[in-house]
Amino acid sequence: MKVGTLAVTRIGLSIMLMAGTCSHALAEDTSGSEDAYFEELPVVLTPSRLTQPLDESPNAVTVIDRQMIRASGFRRLSELFRLVPGMYVSSQNGHSAFVSYHGTTDNFSRRMQVLVDGRSVYLPPFSMVTWDDIPVLLENIERIEVIRGPAAASHGANSTQGVINIITRDASIAAPNEVTLTQGGNGILDLSAMLGQTSELFDQRLSLGYRADGGYDLPVFNDDNRTRMFNWRGNYHPNAVDTLDMQLGYSASTRGDGVVGRNQSPLRNLYASHDFQQLTWTRALDNGNELRVQYHHTHASFSDSQPDYLLNGVTLFPKVYIQSQRHDLELQHTVQWNSQNRLVWGAGGRSDYADSSALFYYKPAPRLSQYRLFAHDEWRLHDALILNTGAMWEDDGMQHRNVSPRASLNYHIAPHQTLRLGASVAYRNPALIEEYGNTQPAETSPFAAYGGLSPEKMLSREIGYVGQFPDAGLTLDARIYVDHLNKLIYLDPLRDANGNFNSASFKNMYQIQFRGWESTLKYQWSAQSRLIFNFAHQKAVCTAEGAPTWISDPRAVAWFSDWIGQCPSMVPDNSGSLLLEQGLAEGLEMSAGYYFQERVQVLDALKPQTSMSRFDIKITRSFGKRDEAGGGEVSLVVQNLFRDTHTEYSSIPQQGTPNLGRRAYLTATFRY
Amino acid sequence: MADASPLRVMLLQEGDLPGMRSLESMLGQRLRTESGVLLLSSSSRPEQADLLVAIGKQAAASVAGTVRPVLNIQLAADVPQLRSTKRSAFLYIEQPAARQLALIRAALPQVRTVGILLSEPRADIARLRRQFIDAGIAVEVEQVEDDAELAPRLQSLLRRSDVLLAAPQAGIYRSDTIRNILLETYRQRVPMIGLSPNFVRAGALCAVYSTPEQIAEQAAAIIGDYARTRRLPADQYPLRFEVAVNFQVAHSLGIPMKGAEQLQHQMRRGSEEVRH
Repeated sequence: MKVGTLAVTRIGLSIMLMAGTCSHALAEDTSGSEDAYFEELPVVLTPSRLTQPLDESPNAVTVIDRQMIRASGFRRLSELFRLVPGMYVSSQNGHSAFVSYHGTTDNFSRRMQVLVDGRSVYLPPFSMVTWDDIPVLLENIERIEVIRGPAAASHGANSTQGVINIITRDASIAAPNEVTLTQGGNGILDLSAMLGQTSELFDQRLSLGYRADGGYDLPVFNDDNRTRMFNWRGNYHPNAVDTLDMQLGYSASTRGDGVVGRNQSPLRNLYASHDFQQLTWTRALDNGNELRVQYHHTHASFSDSQPDYLLNGVTLFPKVYIQSQRHDLELQHTVQWNSQNRLVWGAGGRSDYADSSALFYYKPAPRLSQYRLFAHDEWRLHDALILNTGAMWEDDGMQHRNVSPRASLNYHIAPHQTLRLGASVAYRNPALIEEYGNTQPAETSPFAAYGGLSPEKMLSREIGYVGQFPDAGLTLDARIYVDHLNKLIYLDPLRDANGNFNSASFKNMYQIQFRGWESTLKYQWSAQSRLIFNFAHQKAVCTAEGAPTWISDPRAVAWFSDWIGQCPSMVPDNSGSLLLEQGLAEGLEMSAGYYFQERVQVLDALKPQTSMSRFDIKITRSFGKRDEAGGGEVSLVVQNLFRDTHTEYSSIPQQGTPNLGRRAYLTATFRY
Repeated sequence: MADASPLRVMLLQEGDLPGMRSLESMLGQRLRTESGVLLLSSSSRPEQADLLVAIGKQAAASVAGTVRPVLNIQLAADVPQLRSTKRSAFLYIEQPAARQLALIRAALPQVRTVGILLSEPRADIARLRRQFIDAGIAVEVEQVEDDAELAPRLQSLLRRSDVLLAAPQAGIYRSDTIRNILLETYRQRVPMIGLSPNFVRAGALCAVYSTPEQIAEQAAAIIGDYARTRRLPADQYPLRFEVAVNFQVAHSLGIPMKGAEQLQHQMRRGSEEVRH
């Protein structure tokens, strides 16, 4: 399918023309240098801007930096998580990605907290992340911190298996304006423009993006998709201690759906939009203390253009229209007691709302009001010993009040070498659909949630090691862990009057023990040459914790025990990635990515994904001075260069097993 | 031969920088109790004074044509390279290169390359570079002529440097540019050595500096000596100094940092070793 017209280009061009460069000579005025010496300066590196070093963090953390994003050649945000050990990435179709840590997921991956600049994008009613709708351009990402392991104490509810923390470029980072055009096979056409301006009191950056492709290369499947997005960030700093960060974003996407020859799923379009507004006020207090108040509102909507909607191959809802909203307000206070001890504490409230006559047919889901209190203390007991302790108390608005504690001890066994012992608890609150979902009985597989679910509980224990060998250019980050996920919520088949299992509720019925080890090895041998190798080995063992409602029916029992029997295949035993960056000559760089994953059964997929691998390559020729106005680059990216088997998730029989073929695209960036 | 009448001293300071004003007031307080010195009021005429004390670059410019002896308290960076040989002495506000070097050696012994941003070529930086090279530390300099060049030059400089050393330069380190500079240093994980405690509070890793009180004390001693001997000393840098450290930034960058007092002690010991 052809991609739409580029209305966005006209807007982009007109803004490009409007934007003038503002520069003045650094004239030697009469008191300039004394100003530099005596003038009061704004507090820039406030505690919330400073991250804990990897070897002092209470969790294992993978950082995806700009250089990695650039080297990977990826176009979509979700794909970047292939660079994190233990992470599973796929798409519902050729679009609508989902990302899960430690497998054991369906296509609504629900057990990770995902934050963009502190804003949770984990949305009701499914408690899932619509990765392709997040109005953030890859070019705008400063870094992504992926916390591997539960971190509710510092990152709030639903940080059950981990936290993805996307940090976008501060508006105050001066960078030239930039336009990028990407075009390639399979209908790939992306365009982005970024315009920035910094001044004494106010800095801002405007980003516009358009992304389109033809989905998987399957002729029977309609999964063309295009997304337009807009993002604006402003930073007002009226004095030396206060900063007001403002962000607005909007995305609208059209996604093809339907399969040729499948009557229940005609070829059609789905429409999704996502918008947010965010305001963060930060005040630097004396002695390195800080006060921060953040408010955000997120609104997302989704609609299907056909009356009968198919979800995972089954007619599920008469007409799907979903609208969800979140308001969140949080106060955070950082107290630096002394150079050895720092406390971050705060409180927050959140209101979640979802409206969908399809998902909540008889009774709407209530608006949930959630409250939380949290505290995290970092205490340097000794030069070589750091104790991190913390806890979060929350009321999830569904009658549950939980405390999620975390503790870790980091011991520097030698300079640049650290051992970490950690234990952490986190909860996953039931999604609105799980607790309140009620659909029309006429459908073949509706939901009739009984309610009364308990939150899922995760207890994680780990031993980690971080070794940095600066002289050799090596860093090794490894951990072994045992995670117990209790009260796992999944479908509970319900028997109708005719004795058929055509509908389902949700119930806490399983527990899973995950065991494994993960490692990241980085080797940097020059400023332009780096190798990053990630590897994860994991095992899952599931047992019953409860029973299906219709335990008296052997079919329900068979379904239940099948799930338990299949469980070990729900995580890939081994998976990993390798990213190589290599400068070839002045202005010529090469990067290559190798991704592999052993067989895995996604919960609701028709059949397991076979072992797979793929090799991507990117060659970049830059011109002018790197990162300066007048400079730019042209890159060629080839994904799955050798046409290796790279299967993806599928839940529709006609779709077969999608296999990502070879695809190539050219990207040109110009800075001005 | 000592003069029996008190030395009439007049302090000149223009502008409203709090640091310069507090230096003026602290020096005034000290001179009021200094025997043999009579502090003239600010409404007096400079011709009435036996010694003019020009605090800051603007005040120095206002007394440029005077025939009176002048003690200039200002940044070495602001002193014209070809200064007249009239009766004047300089007490500099900033730290000598050797002390900056001592701080780097004490706080960041692994540093091999120091980056410096300049808006124009400077003789004192050329001298600093030679001193650093002698100590086995390379100095990379990037010149920035206008604001638009600041970000790319800084990025390029940081890629080649282990630490950014702030040099007092008109136009580069301002309240509206420091945000971008510190964010960029942090992004590239290159610490910055600031000029003053203000820099450290803003996000620089550390700084060596002299407080207005320490400079006032040294200036008062110079003036007291002049009252007795009527001879101006050679130009000098501050004798006493302080060190400030931002431990939050140090922890975040993974830099094991000694305490300010320990650093100061180590720097003094180092300079004594050099002297012996």
